[in-house]
Amino acid sequence: MSENIKVTGLNVWFDKNQALKDVSITIPKNEITAVIGPSGCGKSTFIRCINRMNDLVPKCKVTGRIEVDGKDIYDADVDVVEVRKRIGMVFQKPNPFPKSIFENIAYAPRIHGKDLDPSLQGTKVTKYTKKELAELVERSLRRAALWDEVKDRMEKSAYDLSGGQQQRLCIARTMAVDPEIILFDEPCSALDPIATAKIEDLLVDLKKDYTVVIVTHNMQQAARVADRTAFFYLGELIEFGETERIFEKPEQKLTEQYITGRMG
Amino acid sequence: MRRRTKERLFFMLFRGCAWAVGLALLIIVGYIVVLGIGVISWEFLTEFPRRGFTEGGIFPAIVGTLYLMALVMVIAVPIGVLTAVYISEYQGKSRFAGALRVAVNNLAGVPSIVYGLLGLGMLVFYLNWGFSLLASAMTLAFLVLPLVITASREAIQAVPSSLREASLALGTTKWQTIRHHVLPYSTPGILTGIILSLSRAAGETAPILLTGVVLTKTILPQDVWDTFMAMPFQLYALATRTVFEKTADFQYGTALVLLIMVVLMNLAAIVIRNRYREKYKW
Repeated sequence: MSENIKVTGLNVWFDKNQALKDVSITIPKNEITAVIGPSGCGKSTFIRCINRMNDLVPKCKVTGRIEVDGKDIYDADVDVVEVRKRIGMVFQKPNPFPKSIFENIAYAPRIHGKDLDPSLQGTKVTKYTKKELAELVERSLRRAALWDEVKDRMEKSAYDLSGGQQQRLCIARTMAVDPEIILFDEPCSALDPIATAKIEDLLVDLKKDYTVVIVTHNMQQAARVADRTAFFYLGELIEFGETERIFEKPEQKLTEQYITGRMG
Repeated sequence: MRRRTKERLFFMLFRGCAWAVGLALLIIVGYIVVLGIGVISWEFLTEFPRRGFTEGGIFPAIVGTLYLMALVMVIAVPIGVLTAVYISEYQGKSRFAGALRVAVNNLAGVPSIVYGLLGLGMLVFYLNWGFSLLASAMTLAFLVLPLVITASREAIQAVPSSLREASLALGTTKWQTIRHHVLPYSTPGILTGIILSLSRAAGETAPILLTGVVLTKTILPQDVWDTFMAMPFQLYALATRTVFEKTADFQYGTALVLLIMVVLMNLAAIVIRNRYREKYKW
């Protein structure tokens, strides 16, 4: 396995509450890593550190290192905007923009432009032509398995879609920026079982091109889709390993109690 | 049985109060419409007053009020909206923002005559702007700023934070998120607040009374340093004269025109709100 995200000694405080305690974990490339644990265990806080969304929370303090391809994303010389371009995020509740389906996908590529030379770190970009943009939108929607359902109503509001379609739209929107890693924060918790199954199929398909980290409170979901699973409890990483091993032979008592439903 | 009697009693009380409010509005508006409608004519709207406000029309007062509102809008809207953006997007929970919020709320409670005095002392004399359209507009802008800021802040804060997160997670900057998402989605609320603030400014008398309005003027204001006529002041001045009966027609006509203008602005606010509510729903 080649490592993609390497977290060392991560601590997070919200004001005086410590939400994460000395978390160290290495997340491999092109795999799905699930993060499970009871409510309030810090799993959402953890993935929101990986694209620095916690920067938005007042009085949130982060210490430790999160290296992505060898570079600490919390270094002073790192541009947080560039971090979020490389590391996309899909949220718990589908949150499309109140715009058309097309605009939802086209928005970010249009403002970012084409980054032809990544070594320039986004200082020199070319604008997409109308045709290129339309192609990119189609490609992203196909990739999210949504194209056939929406191709005839691209100008309709994204809010005319069902919840599951909205969530796939959000995934397509994230992919249009061409990230390397996609973080999913309980992406199915607001969806019905059929919509959930579609998202899960998509997740498995995505790992060919992306590193996927998914927070879920649904253990069956972790067991179905994830290559590796991390179990968090009260802000600590209790156990991390291959999903099968975690579910069949957990080494820690806490993990066993959680996955057998005696705690949660 | 007693419980049901009580229930009905309170219901009647609530209904009575609601009716009283409606009735008061109806009486005021009805009175002015009945007495003013006969006065309004093309001549009344387009001509200068003659013979001590017994003939001619109120054209310069209408134009003065419109000029004044245009200037108030130019001054108060950018400052108000940008302040609201700063308070709600950049300084959310800081001490400074808290202090600013308290200041804005208190500013909204300052009597308008006090603003007038400030305009007189600071703008007219100290800055030597003289009695002018600009001094009056600036004074009125001070007066409506808290209203614009409060309305804009509420509209901005009504945009769900999930949409800000969605945008930022795509690698946009904070300013891009505000410019492309927060401001467009809160535009209906902000516009509504602006229009209601302006309609408030249109009817204010005390601040302009001390800073630049005049009762009679033979030409329209030539620039922002000129004095001007305005409807609310004209109404006040004519009604407090010793021979007020002579100009009664003029007073009711002016009151009705002012009322129509304010009502139209409020209607515009409602229309804008409803149209955008359809466009941006989440």
